[in-house]
Amino acid sequence: MDYARFVRMRRPVWEAFEAQLAGVRGGRASRRQAGYGTLEDMALRYRQVLHDHALAAARFPGTAAAHRLQSLALEGTRRLTGEGRRPAGVGTFFRRTFPLAFQRQLGLLGIAVALFLFAAVWGLAVAVQRPAVGLVILGPEAMRGLEEGKLWTHSLVTTVPPAVSSSGIATNNISVALTAWSGGVLAGVVPLYVVLLNGLMLGATLGVTLHYSLGGELLQFIAAHGLLELTLILVSAAAGLSLGRALVAAGDRPRATAVREAGRDSLAVLLGCVPWFVVLALVEVFVSPSQEVPAGVKLILGLALEGAFLALALRPVSPEAP
Amino acid sequence: MTEIHRESVLGLDNIRLDLPVAGLGSRSLAVFLDYIGLAIVAMAWIFGSILLAAAVAPDWTPVFVVAGIFLLDWGYFAAQEILGGGRTLGKRLLKLRVVTAEGGTPGAGALLIRNLVRSLDFLCGVPLMAFDPLSRRLGDRLAGTLVVHDRGREAAPMLGRVPAGWGARELAVVESFLSRASTLHDRALSYEMADRILERIRRDAPDLLAGVDTRTDPVAAIRQALQVEEG
Repeated sequence: MDYARFVRMRRPVWEAFEAQLAGVRGGRASRRQAGYGTLEDMALRYRQVLHDHALAAARFPGTAAAHRLQSLALEGTRRLTGEGRRPAGVGTFFRRTFPLAFQRQLGLLGIAVALFLFAAVWGLAVAVQRPAVGLVILGPEAMRGLEEGKLWTHSLVTTVPPAVSSSGIATNNISVALTAWSGGVLAGVVPLYVVLLNGLMLGATLGVTLHYSLGGELLQFIAAHGLLELTLILVSAAAGLSLGRALVAAGDRPRATAVREAGRDSLAVLLGCVPWFVVLALVEVFVSPSQEVPAGVKLILGLALEGAFLALALRPVSPEAP
Repeated sequence: MTEIHRESVLGLDNIRLDLPVAGLGSRSLAVFLDYIGLAIVAMAWIFGSILLAAAVAPDWTPVFVVAGIFLLDWGYFAAQEILGGGRTLGKRLLKLRVVTAEGGTPGAGALLIRNLVRSLDFLCGVPLMAFDPLSRRLGDRLAGTLVVHDRGREAAPMLGRVPAGWGARELAVVESFLSRASTLHDRALSYEMADRILERIRRDAPDLLAGVDTRTDPVAAIRQALQVEEG
């Protein structure tokens, strides 16, 4: 077939496909409105355009027809293929996507918890042996307060308004979680650092406050929010570790595929944690420092929050789509 | 502007598609423009929060500022790409677009992932893009995405009649000349080039020039002889 004949015969198909593409320029909504018949027709024309593109690229490279078909093929591929399906709603995400993703990385969460406990015990032992380590961890001002029999946690509500504290705490915790997760692509080094550092800090802080006989007050302060906050940090770190694992030990899949799949799965886990960080920030500012709320109530609230999170994350969900 | 690197993927029916992958230069320029946009939005947010909160609830000013800056920090790029079909402000200005590794439309999850690791890409993104034939930074590798040129199609002249024996090279030269002839400032040069093409047509297929006035406007003569249509 010569060039002129090829253009004359096939041009109506290209023009029709171009018109159809222009018709669905509005995205998903306009594709839904287009109807099944139109979409089927469009898919057929897309295939014809692809074949014409292959022929033009081989027989008539560099010509206007080849350029036009290249452009049409790319635009058709972008509009008709890919992952552009509608994301699941918030309800479906928390009922299904999040629990499934969470349960798939329980093994890594177990490793993160074990490392955290190890670091915490280590920090506690160091602080009990050498309470001066508190100067490095808590700073001179907090240490002066401890010597006067006061925890530094009072400043959470006395120096700045509670609303400001809670927004600062929520954004800081979410940033730590995001960093722990994204740092997973560096072979899991960053989430490991986050887990060990948090364990060390908690153990050492507890050791220092025990030295000043304020351990009970510290535990009372963290009773309402501490358990779930640490859980969420560890879950985010485990999500980061799953990224690192995919990168280092991809198994029998191509590394790019393994990392991509781990990325999607771990992102779902991370996003599932975000609302809880906001709730915890409110608890940390309005409930934890309050002298009026009894320690027992704080403990029950803390356990209830942890229980609610775990109940949501561990709810039985069938891996097959409903 | 950087040159367009073309990389191939296999589409439907194993047909090769050459993706016009955007290089380090155009992507860096796009992100620079995006950060200018981000700075403007952040400043507007801070001043807006101060003014609004001062009128309504002064104690809440830091809350609005902290929450807004946090959302902008982590969500500015991702939100634009999700809502803009893979394009941020900088990408729109430079006609770039994020697509999947196969040239399709990426989902919201992929766009979120590629932007949440942006802080790490400050450290290693440039060398990764420089040494990768597909110019992928860390976020692209993690999300399975590419950034491509998205210039759209410009109408170009197509020949409706071709002298026998002409190959793709001749066709491409003539079509390319016709598409640019009107933009050449030197008309004498344009006519000289057109005369050479007419000479070639006269040699290969003289019957195509029957009844065509080749003296007044050689460019128009080529269009008439080869039955050129804009398409």
